[in-house]
Amino acid sequence: MRLKVKLALFNLLSKLAVAALLLLFMPLITERLNLRQIDNELVEKREEIISMISRVGIEPFLEPEADSSFGSYNILKEEFISLEYAAPGTEINQINVVRRLIDDEIIDYRVLSYSLTIDGKTYILEVGKSLARVRQTGRNIINIVVLFLVIVIVVTFVSDYQFTRLTLKPLYRITAKLENISSPDNFDSTRINTSTYDFRELDSSITGLMERIKGSFEKEREITYNISHELMTPLSVLRSRLENILLSGVKDPETEIKITESLKTLQRLQSLVNSLLLIARIESRQFLKEDSFPVNEILDQIMEEIKPLAEDRKIEIESSLKDNRTLERVNRSLIFSMLYNVVNNSLKNTGEGGKIRIETMSDSQNRLILTISDNGKGMDREQVSNLFMRFRNRNRNSGDGTGIGMAITKTIADFHNIQISAESEPGRGTKIIFIFF
Amino acid sequence: MNVLIVEDEKSLAKEISSFLTRENFLVEVAHTGREASEKIAVNLYDFVLLDLGLPDYNGLDLIKEAKKVNPEASFIIITARGAVEDKVKGLDLGADDYLAKPFALVELLSRINAVARRKFKVPDNDIQLGEFTVKINSRRLFCKGAGVDLTKKEFDLLLYLVLNHDKVLTRQQLYEHIWGNILDDQYDSNFIDVHIKNLRKKLNAHAPSPWLETVRGVGYRVTTGEN
Repeated sequence: MRLKVKLALFNLLSKLAVAALLLLFMPLITERLNLRQIDNELVEKREEIISMISRVGIEPFLEPEADSSFGSYNILKEEFISLEYAAPGTEINQINVVRRLIDDEIIDYRVLSYSLTIDGKTYILEVGKSLARVRQTGRNIINIVVLFLVIVIVVTFVSDYQFTRLTLKPLYRITAKLENISSPDNFDSTRINTSTYDFRELDSSITGLMERIKGSFEKEREITYNISHELMTPLSVLRSRLENILLSGVKDPETEIKITESLKTLQRLQSLVNSLLLIARIESRQFLKEDSFPVNEILDQIMEEIKPLAEDRKIEIESSLKDNRTLERVNRSLIFSMLYNVVNNSLKNTGEGGKIRIETMSDSQNRLILTISDNGKGMDREQVSNLFMRFRNRNRNSGDGTGIGMAITKTIADFHNIQISAESEPGRGTKIIFIFF
Repeated sequence: MNVLIVEDEKSLAKEISSFLTRENFLVEVAHTGREASEKIAVNLYDFVLLDLGLPDYNGLDLIKEAKKVNPEASFIIITARGAVEDKVKGLDLGADDYLAKPFALVELLSRINAVARRKFKVPDNDIQLGEFTVKINSRRLFCKGAGVDLTKKEFDLLLYLVLNHDKVLTRQQLYEHIWGNILDDQYDSNFIDVHIKNLRKKLNAHAPSPWLETVRGVGYRVTTGEN
């Protein structure tokens, strides 16, 4: 999950939690506040009535014909007052919620009951107030609060998300810079413009590190290049000298063969040095990537090239070319070498009557997949892991190879951002897989 | 023909010089750019073999200088491999060919001959080998009037052996001539053997080809009996 999504989600969840808590306790709180308010009012009313009774006496409140009790509701049944006789000695002073049926309507009342003794008679005064309205008001308040909360959450969520997105942008640019490169050489060292201190530090330390890596890579390449270059002249001298001896006519056939053998050894040295030079030159990007051609074109060329040798060894070359897309901006001769090395390697490691299969297809992401497989002698796990390393697969190549061909292939693949991998099993054969761009 | 070898590595210059002398060239050697510049100013050379990696002189300047004094001179640039830009610049300045170190002496000779044929417009004569005729211009091989169907590689191989007739060519020399250097690591002596085997098969279907010899342990040779 991306950081900005994570932050936004957390933000949203914490807001929702606060809102939920608020909504959970709000009815309780409003109810309590309301009751307290009502109770105060009821007490006030009681005092008012008591002061009225003390002024005018109790008689006006007692209806003569009905058995000496008094009841009064206001029209909307909002409030009522009642006064009735009670058993002498009754003492009561309480407030509670009472459900009353009035005109076929159940109404909850907050009722204050109070006993008072006047002229030796005990009465109970009840003052009630309907709860319906205050409850309705409470509900309305809660509705308004809910609406308000929703608006606040949505607005702050959007603004928070935008803010984190903007703030994190430099971080994403830094990760994008790192994701898009296959080697430190491709690293874009232009600084990222940000006001966030941490990102600036991160960017500058990554850039610094990359520069240092790049520097040491360059140094290594330079050394390889210079050594190889310097070896060329003495090699050249030796070669010319031996060739001169051969060309001037050697009488003794045994000497002639020995000189030829020396030339062969020299040739191995030469091809080794050339290979190292080639790798150094590819790694220091001395090759241009300016060619475009359909992939079948190069595969046909390779098969044509390898055919006489394969026929001679009775090895069958099969192909199933299902994706003939055009390779854009590549170096043709390097791509040729890259694939040719693999096919030739298969040829070397496949016995008479074997089979080499060249396949192209496109995968679900519409990438070109090219595989070269054989049913030759295969490799064990260790050999597979060393396959693309210089000098590590010596024992695999018999004869003239220097054991560096697959390292060249890997270097060329890296140079073109082509993924390369190998699958192999001893006795079953080897499969090399290229995934283009 | 007069050849000037400009090469600071003395032992290499010596080998090239003794080889070309044996091939009937008049050879002079200069080990420094200054020396070369003086010689070019005084003498007329048909060929200058120029090592671009001279310590005291920019080899490319030497081409410019020489072209002023003697526009007829042909240049073959010799350089340690890899300097692609040098090659392009050299050819732009009018060098005729380019060879990377280390090269085969026979390859050098065949480049010189090719440049000479181009320059002096020597018609490519048909070459007779037993009952076979190699037509260089049309790149075809005939036997008693009938065409022999060869692949491009087979023809190139045959032609190289024919042009260097009576010399034993090693498999490496043949391989380098035909495939160049890019596939260095994949050099496989079997390649040449297979192609020669196929070539022989095709030749022998028309007429015997005793002139194409295998020199055991060394390589192959075409004998014309001219030498």
